[in-house]
Amino acid sequence: MSKTATLATRRYTLGLALFGESVKYFAAWILAAIILAAVVPLIVSQWRSIDISAWYLAANVGKYLAAIIAGGYLYTLLPILVAQGMTRRETAVSMGIFGLLWSLFLGTIALVGFLGEHALYGVFDWTQAPQQGEEYDLVLGSFGQALDFAAIYPLSYLLYCAGGALAGAAIYRSDTGWLILALVVPIGFAVDDLLSSADTWGPAFVVRFITGPLEDLGTWPAVVIALAVIAIGAWGTRRIILNTPIRAKQA
Amino acid sequence: MSFSASLRDVTLKYGDTEALSDITLALEPGKIYGLLGRNGAGKTTLLSLLSAFRRPTAGEVLVDDRPVWENIDVVSQVALIREGGDFDDTDTVKAAIEIGALRPSFDLDYALKLAERFELPLDRKVNQLSRGKRSVLAAVCGLASRAQLTMFDEVHLGMDAPTRDAFYKELLAEYLDRPHTVILSTHLIDEVANYLEEVVILDRGRIMRHENVEAFQGMGATLTGPADAVDAAAVGLEVLAEQRLGGTKSITVASALDAADRGRAAAAGVEIGPVGLQDLFIHLTDPDRTGA
Repeated sequence: MSKTATLATRRYTLGLALFGESVKYFAAWILAAIILAAVVPLIVSQWRSIDISAWYLAANVGKYLAAIIAGGYLYTLLPILVAQGMTRRETAVSMGIFGLLWSLFLGTIALVGFLGEHALYGVFDWTQAPQQGEEYDLVLGSFGQALDFAAIYPLSYLLYCAGGALAGAAIYRSDTGWLILALVVPIGFAVDDLLSSADTWGPAFVVRFITGPLEDLGTWPAVVIALAVIAIGAWGTRRIILNTPIRAKQA
Repeated sequence: MSFSASLRDVTLKYGDTEALSDITLALEPGKIYGLLGRNGAGKTTLLSLLSAFRRPTAGEVLVDDRPVWENIDVVSQVALIREGGDFDDTDTVKAAIEIGALRPSFDLDYALKLAERFELPLDRKVNQLSRGKRSVLAAVCGLASRAQLTMFDEVHLGMDAPTRDAFYKELLAEYLDRPHTVILSTHLIDEVANYLEEVVILDRGRIMRHENVEAFQGMGATLTGPADAVDAAAVGLEVLAEQRLGGTKSITVASALDAADRGRAAAAGVEIGPVGLQDLFIHLTDPDRTGA
C-alpha cells in the first residue's frame, strides 16, 4: 500500500496487496516444504522402499496454515484497518479477496506438487500413496488419478480459510469467541472428509468422530456442500465483523 | 473543509456499566478541543464513538452531520490515534507508516519528513521501539493522516518533554496550515492549555462542562503578591491551590473577582491573573465537591 488509495478501490487493492505480501512472506516456507517433500523420500529410500506420499503431508499442513493465517490476519488487521479509516464492510471484502487468492495459490501449488511428486516417484518406481490405513490404501497410480485427487485442494484450502476467518472474527469479537471452534472444527473436518478421497488429516481423537458417515456421497454433491459451508462461514464472518467494536488497548 | 462532531442522547454500556450516560455534545468544525476527565470518566469511550470504533448503546453519533458508523466518506477522514497507536507490531516502522496510505488524504512525504525529524528508525520493527518512540510513531501517523477530524488520545505518553513540545508545535503548525478539527485527550492539562480553544470536561460518563478556554479562565483567578496582601484579598474566596516562595504567595481561587475586589487587591500590590486550567479541573472534578 505504498501509493495513496482511492476510496472506491482500496478494498480491492488491499486484498491484492495482502495476497502479494503473504506470498513474499511465506515463499521461503513454501519452498522449504517443496524441497523437504522431495528430499526426505530420497533419503528414506536408502533404507526402505517409498510407499507413501510425502507431498500429501505437506499439502495438508498447508490447510492448517491457511486457517491460521486467515484467522490471524483478521484478528490482527481488523483494529488496524478501522484505525486507518476503513469500514468493516471494506475490511470484509479485502479479507474475502485475500482468502480466495490465497486458497487458489496454495491449491495450485498443492496440485502441481502432487503431479510433480508422481513424476518423481515414477522415476524411482515408488508408490505415491496419500493414505495407507487400517481399512484401505489409497494409491495414485497415474497422473489422472493424481490430478483427480489433488483437484479439490483449492476448495479445501478455501474451506479452511473460511473456518479460520470465522474463528478469528469470533475470538476478536468476544473473550469466549473461541468456543466457536467446537462448531467450526468438526464441521470443517467433516466437509473436508467429504471432499477428499482420503480420510481427513488431523488429530485422531477428533477425526475419528466425524469421518466416514457421508463418504460415498460423490464428488459434485460434496463440492456443492463445501461451497455452501464456505458461503455460510464467509457470511457469518462478515456478520460478526460488521458488529464488532474495536477493543480497548491494554495499559 | 473540516468536520463537526456531535453526540445526541448517547449512552454506552459495557455490560451493566454505563461508560457514557445520555450525553449530548456538539463540537464545531475547525477548532482545537481539549477533552479532560479523570481516569474512567469516559474520554476514550467518547472518542471511540466519534471514530466508529464502537457503536453507542443508544443515541446518535454524527460527524459532519452524517452518521459515522460504516460511513466510508466520513471514517476515511476521521483519525483516532490511541496511546501507542494501532500497528502490527511485527511490521517495520516504515511499513506501519505506509499503511496510512489507505486514507486518500494521507501525506506520505510529510510522514517521512516527520519521521526523520523525530528520529524514528524506519527499518526497525515496531515491537522494538521504546514506549516514547512508539508514541512518536503514532503521533506522526496521526498528523500525516491529514484527516478532517483528528483525535489524539493520550498519545503523548512515554514522550519526553522536548518531544512533547515539538509534537504540540507541529500539531499547531499543521492546524494553522490546514484548518481541521482536533480533539486532544490528555492529563497533561497545563502543557496543552495554550493550544486549546474549547474544553470539554467529562465526569463519570457525563459532560460536566463545555466552554471556551476564556470562559474557564474567567471561572477563577490567580492572586500573586506579598503573602499578607494575598491572604487579605482571598478572604471569603474558595482557594483551589496555594504556593509560597519566601514572602511571596500565589493562590488560585475558584471565583472571579469583581471590579472593587480587583481594585483593592491591585492597590495592595497583588497581581491578578487567569486561573490555571489544571487547578480549575482538579477543583471541578473533586469527588468531595461533586458528591462522589
